[in-house]
Amino acid sequence: MMPLKLAKLGEINYIRKISGKDEVRQRLAELGLVVGEEVTVVSEICGNIIVSVKGSRIALDDGMAGRIMV
Amino acid sequence: MSIKIALAGNPNSGKTTMFNELTGSAQYVGNWPGVTVEKKEGRLKGHRDVIIQDLPGIYSLSPYTLEEVVARSYLVGEKPDAIINIVDGTNIERNLYLTTQLIELGIPTVVAINMIDVVRRNGDAIDIEKLSRSLGCQVVETSALKGIGAAEAAERAIEAARAESSCRLPSVFNGSVEHAIAHIEESIEDMVPKCNLRWYAIKLFERDEKAAEELSLEQALLDHLDEHIKACEAEMDDDSESIIINQRYAYIAKVVSSCVKKSKRKKHSTSDKIDRVVTNRIMALPIFVAVMFVVYYISVTTVGSIVTDFTNDTLFGDWIIAPLGEWMGAIGVAPWLTGLVVDGIISGVGAVLGFVPQMLILFLMLSILEDVGYMARVAFIMDRIFRKFGLSGKSFIPMLIGSGCSVPGIMASRTIENERDRRMTIMTTSFIPCGAKMPIVALIAGALFGGAWWVAPSAYFIGVAAVIVSGIILKKTKYFSGKPTPFVMELPPYHVPSAGNVFRSTWERGWSFIKRAGTVILAASVFIWFTSSFGFVDGVFTMVEEMDSSVLAAAGSFIAPLFAPLGFGNWQSAVATVMGLLAKEEVVGVFGVLYGVSGDALHMVEEGLFEGLSPIAAHFTSLSAFTFLIFNLLCAPCFAAIGAISREMNSRKWTWYAIGYLTVFAYSVSLIVYQLGLLFSGGAFTVATAAACIVAAALLWLLLRKNPYDESTEIKVNLEVGANA
Repeated sequence: MMPLKLAKLGEINYIRKISGKDEVRQRLAELGLVVGEEVTVVSEICGNIIVSVKGSRIALDDGMAGRIMV
Repeated sequence: MSIKIALAGNPNSGKTTMFNELTGSAQYVGNWPGVTVEKKEGRLKGHRDVIIQDLPGIYSLSPYTLEEVVARSYLVGEKPDAIINIVDGTNIERNLYLTTQLIELGIPTVVAINMIDVVRRNGDAIDIEKLSRSLGCQVVETSALKGIGAAEAAERAIEAARAESSCRLPSVFNGSVEHAIAHIEESIEDMVPKCNLRWYAIKLFERDEKAAEELSLEQALLDHLDEHIKACEAEMDDDSESIIINQRYAYIAKVVSSCVKKSKRKKHSTSDKIDRVVTNRIMALPIFVAVMFVVYYISVTTVGSIVTDFTNDTLFGDWIIAPLGEWMGAIGVAPWLTGLVVDGIISGVGAVLGFVPQMLILFLMLSILEDVGYMARVAFIMDRIFRKFGLSGKSFIPMLIGSGCSVPGIMASRTIENERDRRMTIMTTSFIPCGAKMPIVALIAGALFGGAWWVAPSAYFIGVAAVIVSGIILKKTKYFSGKPTPFVMELPPYHVPSAGNVFRSTWERGWSFIKRAGTVILAASVFIWFTSSFGFVDGVFTMVEEMDSSVLAAAGSFIAPLFAPLGFGNWQSAVATVMGLLAKEEVVGVFGVLYGVSGDALHMVEEGLFEGLSPIAAHFTSLSAFTFLIFNLLCAPCFAAIGAISREMNSRKWTWYAIGYLTVFAYSVSLIVYQLGLLFSGGAFTVATAAACIVAAALLWLLLRKNPYDESTEIKVNLEVGANA
């Protein structure tokens, strides 16, 4: 497992674990970021990333990106 | 009996477009999630008794963001007769997550699979019949943009509402989860309406505090239910909220795999390809700077100055003011009345309206960027930089818009979910010099600095520096401290901007400025004219010849000493600064009148005729002119912007905090600059210099001190925010 922010750009990964407070996880889940989901990092700037998940693009800051393990 | 139909769906799924289509109204639509925060109402075209309610875009019914709270309390509390759930067909899996929750509310629901044209173009196919059977409610295909299916969706919703046919609940949950929920349903059966039973049962299972509060359940019952939830959690080895989320997505995946035929997806969508360049680590900032340069270059220099010249010279100068003056003279109107109307009202209002074209062009360009989808990326790109001084990337858009006019800028802060971040953005947005502050800058630059090139950029620099310094200072205060909220934002797909959308949003933003010219500035013009033309002479209230004896001069002299330490303690500057509260560009006009400039000072500034403005220049030194500029740039904004602050803060206390902060900050900075400037240019060390040193030291301390509320108080602050929201 590694944090999502370390994943290679454009590579398809599967979410294995999401840590953090309930509220944060709930928010991520509403946007489609749940365990088992296919996720691709589209772009990265200084740790902030854009991911493609369930057909939409979500921007996350590095704190959030670090909580998602693939 | 009238029927209420609510439009609900994910952000950017096309609700507002659908609302416009159904009601024939012209609400503005943004390619920027979170355009609708308040709910909007309209009547269905052709059905006077059907009310359509547009709700803010939401991802779920958990009360996490402001939008979700608004939508949820409406759907649960006021109970519309039917819901049209707008689902983005190109992103059906994520969108159905909300759909399953809406159906559980027990309100007749019609699912509109929107953007069906794009779905078809992608080569995908959705089996509507099958989807309808699986979800247990009506499903129609629509494309609000192309005008397909919207009327049908509305008809179905009316039918459903009339029949009061609540949907057959799909079996989303299974195993011990379904068992636990069924058990909760049994326990609360007598306390909630039958149609809401499932909704409340699931919410209680998720330990949703708001739902428990609404039902005012006894603690004993809650404890009893909690045992069942805990048992289920133990069995599934997860917390109840995650269990619900996972089962929901599992159910949706099953439905989608049986109802949606996806063509072989291209590996990367066009949006992804554009994002790879535009949000690229190395290219993002240069591209952003280039885009902004083009936007401001076009709206200020080339096209902007052409339309501004036309409005000022031809439209107002040749077509309105001159003929009107002649006509009023010809029909024998009293000269003072002609003076009031032509010199006071029309010149005053006209000078302000002169900015409108330039501002509209700026807003047009920003609206295009927004509709294309670039603005959302800008928030992403700027987030890293803004985070350093305690603001989020989402704060950048309000400031960008604020460079045109603070009113729409402050209004744009609505899309920031976190209350602390939102308040901080509202407080700092008006530091950015708006279009109306530019004449002050031009006046000072032209009349006192011989048109030096650096004055205008320095105004922006001061504005940006004020935002940064304030961000750092405020972040170390009790209320604003704590970790910055995580930045999570859906980026809309790029698309070709639609002319209708772009013009609507441009107009909506420009209108807030024009309306102000018609009301506040009109009144201000009359007020200045009156107070500067009348006064007490030998104890008698009369029309005065010399302005020095006017009411305005008396009031100005009274507050002028306040500004003396800043270098402009004469009554004319005091009056001009106060009049700047009505509208910033009034500062220049008032100066023109008070210092007896022959002609319209604002007009002369716009034309670059600075020789004529020497009467103003004579009252200032370079230093005092510069501090006057700083104070007027940073202090409380005009009344229209204060009005916007009070609307968005939605709290009298916070409105006063904001205005107080801005004014104190402006006063401190001006004091420091003027007094230290005097000292370094060979002035004596006075009491005021000492005061300036103390203020400077205090400011530095506030800026550099270690954050006393770091980490340890984070939880407490979060609780406070939660309670306020």
